[in-house]
This record gives sequence, C-alpha cells and structure tokens, in this order.
Amino acid sequence: MSEMKSHADQLYIDGLLQNKSDVIDMIYKKFAPKVIYYIKTNSGGVDQAQDIIQDVLITIYNQAKTKGLQLTCPFDAYFFLLCKRHWLNELKKKSNKGVTLLDDEVYNDVSVQQHVFTTEIFEEKQSLYDEMFQKLGEKCQEVLKLSFITKTMEEVAEKLSVTYGYVRKKKSLCTGELTKLIQQSPRFANAKFDNN
Amino acid sequence: MNNLNYLAFENYLANEMSNDEKIVFENKLKDNDDFNNEFQSYKETTVFLQNKFAQETADFKQNLKSISKSNFSENKGTKSKVISINSKYFAVAASLLMFLGVFYIYQNQTPNYTDFNQHENASFTERGTLIASLKAAQDAFNDKKYQEALPLFENVLKVYNKPEIQYFYAICLIETENYTKAESVLLTLKEGKSIYTNRATWYLALMQLKLKNNEGCKKFLKQIPADAEDYAKAQELLELL
Repeated sequence: MSEMKSHADQLYIDGLLQNKSDVIDMIYKKFAPKVIYYIKTNSGGVDQAQDIIQDVLITIYNQAKTKGLQLTCPFDAYFFLLCKRHWLNELKKKSNKGVTLLDDEVYNDVSVQQHVFTTEIFEEKQSLYDEMFQKLGEKCQEVLKLSFITKTMEEVAEKLSVTYGYVRKKKSLCTGELTKLIQQSPRFANAKFDNN
Repeated sequence: MNNLNYLAFENYLANEMSNDEKIVFENKLKDNDDFNNEFQSYKETTVFLQNKFAQETADFKQNLKSISKSNFSENKGTKSKVISINSKYFAVAASLLMFLGVFYIYQNQTPNYTDFNQHENASFTERGTLIASLKAAQDAFNDKKYQEALPLFENVLKVYNKPEIQYFYAICLIETENYTKAESVLLTLKEGKSIYTNRATWYLALMQLKLKNNEGCKKFLKQIPADAEDYAKAQELLELL
C-alpha cells in the first residue's frame, strides 16, 4: 500500500517541529479563539484555555518529534477536538461526576478521529514515561539525564568521576529498568498502546 | 529481560559493535520475536529520553510559552482592543485627548525617550524549575531598579541564554546607559528568529531617540512591519520626528 498523502495543513506540524515562531503565532491567531470560546462557554476561563492549548501543542510537538506525525486531515478540526476533549477530561477530573465524553458534534471525517485517537494514546504513554521516570532511583535519573544532555559518554563519566565502561553499563541498566517499569504498570496494561 | 541484553541494545544503538557482532545481533532480531520486542521497547524508551532532555525541546517550550503569553495578554484585556463606551462620549473624550496631546507635543517640540519608555513587566516564573537569580532579576526589573538587575541578568545568561532574558537585559542596558552593549544584544535579537525580533528593532529605535539621534531612530522605526506589536507606536513616533 502506498503511503497516505499529507494534508496541506502539515505545514503547522512542520512549523511546530522546527520551532518557527511565525507559524506558532499563526496557530494562536487562527485556531485559539475557537478553543477559548468553547472553554469559556463550558465552565472555564481564559487561563484554563491558555493552559490547555499550550499542553496540546506540546503533545503534538512531542508526537511529531518522536513518531513523525503526518497529518491527513485539517489541522483546525484535529486541534480543536484535542483541546475540547482535554478540557472535558479536566472537568471530569474536577467534578468526579463523570462527564460523558461523547461528542455533540459529529466528525464525519474518520481521519480526524483517528488522528485524535493516536495523539491521545501517545500522550497517555508520554505521561506514563514521565511518571515512571520519577520512580527510578536518584542515581539512575542522574545518569540518564546527564547521558542525554552531555555530548559524549566520556564527558558523563568524567562528570560523575566513574569509568566510561561503568557509565555505559549503568545507562543501559537504567534505560532497561525504565522500560520494565512501563511494561509492569497497570496503566500500560489498560491502555491500548501501539507498538511502533 | 536480562541485563546483558540491555548492554547489547545500548551498544547496537550507539553503533559500538564490530561488524561481526552487528550481524549476529541483527540475525537474532530477525529470528527471535521476544528479543526483537524487547529491543523495540528499549529503543522507544531511548527515544523518549532523548526528546525529554533535548535542548530543542526546552527551546520549543520556552518559545511556545512566550508566544502564548503575548497572544493571551491580548485576550485577557491587558491590551484590550474593544472598548465598550458610549460612542458619542467617546468621540468627545478622544478629540479632547488628541487636542491635549497636540498641545503637549507643541509645548515639547520634540519627542523624548521618556515619552515612550513604558516597559512591559518581566514575568519568567513558570511551572518548571526556576533559576535562582532569575526571580531576583525579574523583581528588580519590575521595580525599575535597572542597575541592580544588570548583574542578576548577567548571571542568568551564563546558564540560560535565551531571547526572553536577552530582551529584558537589553532594556536594562539602555536604562543604565550601556549603549554599546545594548546595541549588540539588540542587533543579535533583531537578526534572530525568536518572537523578539520586532521588539528589538523598536528598542533600537528608542535607544537612538534617547541618544537624540533622530535619523538613526527613524531608520529603525521604518523597519518595523505593519503586523508588529509596536507598529502603531512606531508610526506615531515617526510622525512626531
């Protein structure tokens, strides 16, 4: 099967990915007002809209960066639905009443729903990684962080006053441990994570 | 999973295997599904960590935050564009203000730096970690204690050299008459790709105004594009010059 062609709105994804200020600004100018209006008319305020939009854009960036997000639907619909569902989830958490996440709008475009679904799964997994990273021992957290912010493993070894061989082994063990923590988590079992 | 596998995964991903080792490893990936699955999960964790700690990710978040802030300051009414006021009274008030304005300008003849140096407040506090001296720099700046803010900003810039910090640092430099340094910081910002490019041009113009170099000021004002935040002020100042 040939690869699906990207939507023209892929430019927004690419702009986020390349951290282009003009594109990010355009996203705010063009697409944020609709989200703000929705949140304001659904028990929220401007501050909450600002947080939701920021969180959603960070998720899209992370997904594009690590999984290579190819948009096959309009950005507007994809972005709005993500923000909207984010907000409904927030309300649900706050009220504990169980807001139904059924959409009052019908998105005929299956592609939009698919994209939103994939992004939400990705986000769930990211938050699981973040949570499990915090569960690692202090030493592991330090070694992993240094390994990824320092240019070479030789420099990491020097910073930690250990040998190169030790630091490489430690890094592999800590990465392995994090992987294991993810897989043993009940959250991992509950969510239908994709495996690519 | 066993620990030996982790080290092999790491060696493979870091390209630290000999050709022979690589062939053995890749064959094992092909033949052994469990081994392959373990490797894919390990690789995914590595990609997650890479992105989590990448400088690019930090830069993106920082840039996003400033763009969000500048867009939302409009929404929160700090710069409200829609004024609901009875239009008749508004018109009277506006013409009165304009008359006073023109009167004031004629009195003053030429515009001054102090007519325009109302700097926005710095607000760097965010959810993540905060550099210790950043809060102190921010407070000093907002209290207009520019001399005090200077060394604090310099300390921050040593570990966290970002456009947002450079921008406020440059304003401090103008206020404390360190013009050469201010010019170099602003020119770098102006040529950069942050959201501060137009604001930097505006401050370059203001600095020339402060130095009574009206021609230099005009030169920078003309470079401010129509969609920039400071366009209206720039046009106003251009007319006065």
